[in-house]
Amino acid sequence: MRIQEDKKASEKDKPDLKGTFVSVMLLGVFIIITWVGAFALFISR
Amino acid sequence: MHLHKYEKIWLTFGIGSLVVFLFVVGYGAFWQGTHPQSHGVTIDPNNIESNEAFKPENLGLTKVDENEYIVNITASAFYYDLGKDEEGKSVRTIRIPKGSKVLWQAATKDVVHGFQVAGTNVNMMVEPGYVSSLETVMDNPGTYTIVCNEYCGIGHHMMYATVEVYE
Ligand SMILES: [Cu+2]
Repeated sequence: MRIQEDKKASEKDKPDLKGTFVSVMLLGVFIIITWVGAFALFISR
Repeated sequence: MHLHKYEKIWLTFGIGSLVVFLFVVGYGAFWQGTHPQSHGVTIDPNNIESNEAFKPENLGLTKVDENEYIVNITASAFYYDLGKDEEGKSVRTIRIPKGSKVLWQAATKDVVHGFQVAGTNVNMMVEPGYVSSLETVMDNPGTYTIVCNEYCGIGHHMMYATVEVYE
């Protein structure tokens, strides 16, 4: 009983990083798209 | 060290992107010859004619081989010297067949100038004391304007010439 309670508590302590994850990936995708765009312009000219 | 599951994903993504980026840039630099336009080649800015390429008779377009050209340009406030044609007139337009490999070489007699063939990758800074050069293949036909994109003084906007890439 005690052990179970501890487990529950530690799961609650884990930070919720879903929002962080989404924003990090969006930023990453934005950087990649803009870089590829500039690079494609360089290659095509 | 404990890493959150999401942290592992974005670290992998970030490091992976960095590796791809460095590979692309490294390939361009070491195998494709992409580099800055000034190679540290020096020239006496008070006597640029001491360099073979910038003697008056060598200015402008020179054909060196089938589909291979050299263009030598002397920049000065506020003029690009592209040499003279057969009639002794100053050349204002350079005509190059499509698909030619062109080596652009520029030097300045006075202040810092720019040299940009607008709409292409030919874009260099021309600094006193240095020779700027860049090699490109002119693949896209059209009429391009050479512009000075470094403010060089009161007549800066009048500093231009034309490049025609024909089929
Ligand atoms: Cu200028």
